[in-house]
Amino acid sequence: MPATLRRHGSSYLFVLPTFSFFVVFTLLPVVQAFALSLQSATIVGGEWIGLENFATLADDPVFRQALGNTVLYTVVVVAAQIVLALVVASLIQPLGRKNQTFYRALFYLPLVNSAILVAMVWRWIFNPNPFGLANTALGTVGLGPFLWIGSSDEALIAVILSSVLTIPGGGVVLYSAAISSLPRELYEAADVEGAGWFTKWWRITVPLLKPTTLYLVVIYTILAFQVFERVYVMTNGGGPNNATITIVQLIYSTAFQFGRYGLASAMAVVLFLMAVAVAVVQFRSLRSDVEY
Amino acid sequence: MERRSGTTISRRRFLQSVAAIGVASACAPSGAPAGAGPAASPGGSAAAAKPVSIEWWRRNYTPGSQNAETLTSDGAVKAFRERNPNVTLSIQGGPFGPETDQKFDIAILQQKAGPDVFHTTGGDVLKYAAAGQLSEAPLTDAERRDFNPSALQATTYKGKVVAYPLWIVPWFEYINLDLFKERGVTPPKDGNWTYEEFLDAAKKLTFKRADGKQVYGFAHANDEFAFMLVDGGRPYDKDVKSWTFNSADAVSGLEKWVALAREKVMPPDFLTLNPNDAQARFISGDVAILQRPSAMINVLNADKKFEYTKNWEIANFPKGKGEQTAWGGVGFIAVRDQQDADKKAAAHQFAKYLTGPEIGPDLKKMAPPVEYWLAPAARVSAAGIYGEYHPAKAKVAKMSSFTYVLPNVRTFSEIDQKHLRPARDAALEGKKTPKQALDEVATAAQRLLDEANK
Repeated sequence: MPATLRRHGSSYLFVLPTFSFFVVFTLLPVVQAFALSLQSATIVGGEWIGLENFATLADDPVFRQALGNTVLYTVVVVAAQIVLALVVASLIQPLGRKNQTFYRALFYLPLVNSAILVAMVWRWIFNPNPFGLANTALGTVGLGPFLWIGSSDEALIAVILSSVLTIPGGGVVLYSAAISSLPRELYEAADVEGAGWFTKWWRITVPLLKPTTLYLVVIYTILAFQVFERVYVMTNGGGPNNATITIVQLIYSTAFQFGRYGLASAMAVVLFLMAVAVAVVQFRSLRSDVEY
Repeated sequence: MERRSGTTISRRRFLQSVAAIGVASACAPSGAPAGAGPAASPGGSAAAAKPVSIEWWRRNYTPGSQNAETLTSDGAVKAFRERNPNVTLSIQGGPFGPETDQKFDIAILQQKAGPDVFHTTGGDVLKYAAAGQLSEAPLTDAERRDFNPSALQATTYKGKVVAYPLWIVPWFEYINLDLFKERGVTPPKDGNWTYEEFLDAAKKLTFKRADGKQVYGFAHANDEFAFMLVDGGRPYDKDVKSWTFNSADAVSGLEKWVALAREKVMPPDFLTLNPNDAQARFISGDVAILQRPSAMINVLNADKKFEYTKNWEIANFPKGKGEQTAWGGVGFIAVRDQQDADKKAAAHQFAKYLTGPEIGPDLKKMAPPVEYWLAPAARVSAAGIYGEYHPAKAKVAKMSSFTYVLPNVRTFSEIDQKHLRPARDAALEGKKTPKQALDEVATAAQRLLDEANK
C-alpha cells in the first residue's frame, strides 16, 4: 500500500460518499453524453456515426437560431445582472446593519420562489393584450400596446427583459458581503485626497471586487446558457416562429419529444464546450491578483 | 455466534449467489416459452378459464381522485371483472406529458416489459410497432368494418392493425350565443357555415365595449392546423409517402387562416394562447367563437349558468372548397407483445372490451352511472351511447364521421415543431406568404417522412 494511502486512507473514506455521487450523477452522465453525441442514439440503442451529429447541427437552421438566441440572451442578461447586482449592493452598503440585512433578504427572497411560478407571472406581465401588466403600465404614458410574447420580433426581448428586471438576489448578497470586507483605509485615503463617491466606487470598489465579479460572471453565464423554464413557460417553448428557442429548449425537445438522444447529446456537448470556452476567456480577462 | 455445521457460506459467496439469481431472473423468459402461439380471441376460453393478472397503464389515472380518466378506468375494470372474474387487473397511472412518455419508452422499448395493455396516442403506436413490441389486434372482418376507417388506418403498421382505436376527438367551433345575439349575428343553421359566413360573423363579433373591453370574434388554442384542411389540403398523400401540405389546397387553406389574422378577429396573443386561457376567455365572454375539442363540452356543462342552446352552441368547421372536414385526434388501446400467452390473450380481451360496444352500457348501469366515452367512440356499434349523455354530444358524435384523423407518422412531432409550426407562424404574422412558408417546409418534412417510412 502506498505511503500516501496509508497516511490519508481515512480521509479518502470520508470523501468517498460525495465523490461517488459526483461520479455517478455528474461525471458519468457527462462522459455518456460525449459518447452518445457520436452515435445515432435513440431509446433502443444506436450506432457509432462519428461526427455526423455535429455536421447535422451545423446544417440545421433551427439549431443556429437557438445558438444565436442563447448567446444574445446570455450577453445581455449577464451584463445586466452583474451591473444591477453591483449597483444594488453598493446602494445598500451605506445603510445600517439592520437595513442591510433587511434589503439583502428582500432581494434574495424571490430566489426561493419556484422558477415556473415566476415565469408564469412574467407571462402575464408581457401578455400581448391591452390588459397585460406591461401594456397597461406603458399605456398610462401613451406607449403601446406591444405584442411582446405574441410576436416573433418582440418575444425574445420580453424574455430577456423578464430576466433583466429580476434583481439577481444571489449577486446582491455576494457583492454586499464582498464590499463589507473591503479595507476601509483605502476609502479614508481617498477621502483625504478629495475623491467623490463615484470616484471611490469606480476606482476602489469595482476593481477590488474583481474576484467576486469573476465568480458571478462565470456562474451567471453558465446559468444563462442553460435558460429553459422561462422560455418554456412564457412562450410555449420557443415562441412564435421559434423566436425564443434556446439550446436547452431544443435539447429537451430533440431528446424527449423527437427521441433523438444522439443529436440532443451533440447539442449538449456544444453547449458544454461553449461554457468551457467562455469560462476560460472570462478567467483570463478578469483574473487579477487582488490583495488587500 | 454459533455456526451451523455442514455447508457454510461466506458473506461474499452469499452476495454473489443473490446477484447471480437476480441476473438469471432478469434474463429468463417469463411465463410460457417463446412462440407459445398467437393471442387467443377476445372471447377466448383459454384466458377465460385460467386465473391471470394483467397490468394496464393509463395516463392521467390517479387512484382515489375524481378526474374523468380515473372514474372511467375504475369503472371499466370493475365491469370487466364482473364479466371475466378470472382476470385480475391493476392500473398504473401517470400524468400526460413527456415524463410518462419516457416511462413508456423505457419500459416497452428498452426493457421490453411494462404494461400488458395501455392507452396510447399518435406516433407512439407506430414507434412501438416498429420495435416489434405490439401484438396484432385479432379483429374479425365485421369488426374491421365497424371501426372508423381513418382511425383504423392510423393504427395500421405494415398491413397489420397494431392497436384498437378507442375514440375520436373531433374539434369544432363553440359559439357564444349571448354575443351572437348582442351583435345581431345569426348562428349557423344546423351548425353548418361556409368560410365566408364564418369570417363575416367573426368580423361582426369583434368589437370594443363602451367600458373599453375588447371582444374578439374568434380564437383557437395554439395547437392545431384545422384551417389548412378546409379546402382539401392534407399533410400526406393517400399512401403517407409524400408530404403534400404545400399543395394549392393547403396553401389556400392557410390563406384563409392568415385572413383571420389580417382582419384582427383573433386576440393578439393567438400565436401563444394556451388551451386553458382560450377556454377561460370564451367562458368570460371575451371570445365569441372558439375552436376546441369535444372534451370542452364537459367543461361548459360544469357551469350551470352557461346553458347549452341558451348561452352556447356547437358548429362545424367552416366549410371551404373541400368536403366538410373536422380536425381531430384519436386514442388507442394497445397490447404489448409478450411470451406469456395467457396474459396476452387476457390483455386483448380487455382491450377489445375497452373499445367495444358493451362497456358503455355496462358503466351506465352502475350506481352512480359512469360515463365511459369521454369522446365519440371510434366504432359505429359503440357510438350511440356517447350522444345519450348530452344533446351537444349527440351533435358531436355525428361530426366524428367527417373528422380527419392525422395518419400516424413517428416523426410528425419533429416536422410539426421544428418546421411546420414556425412556417405557419411566419405566414400568420405576415412575414412570409402562405405558399412561401409551406414550400420552405416541404424538403425537411419529406426527409423526415422518408425516415419514418424506412
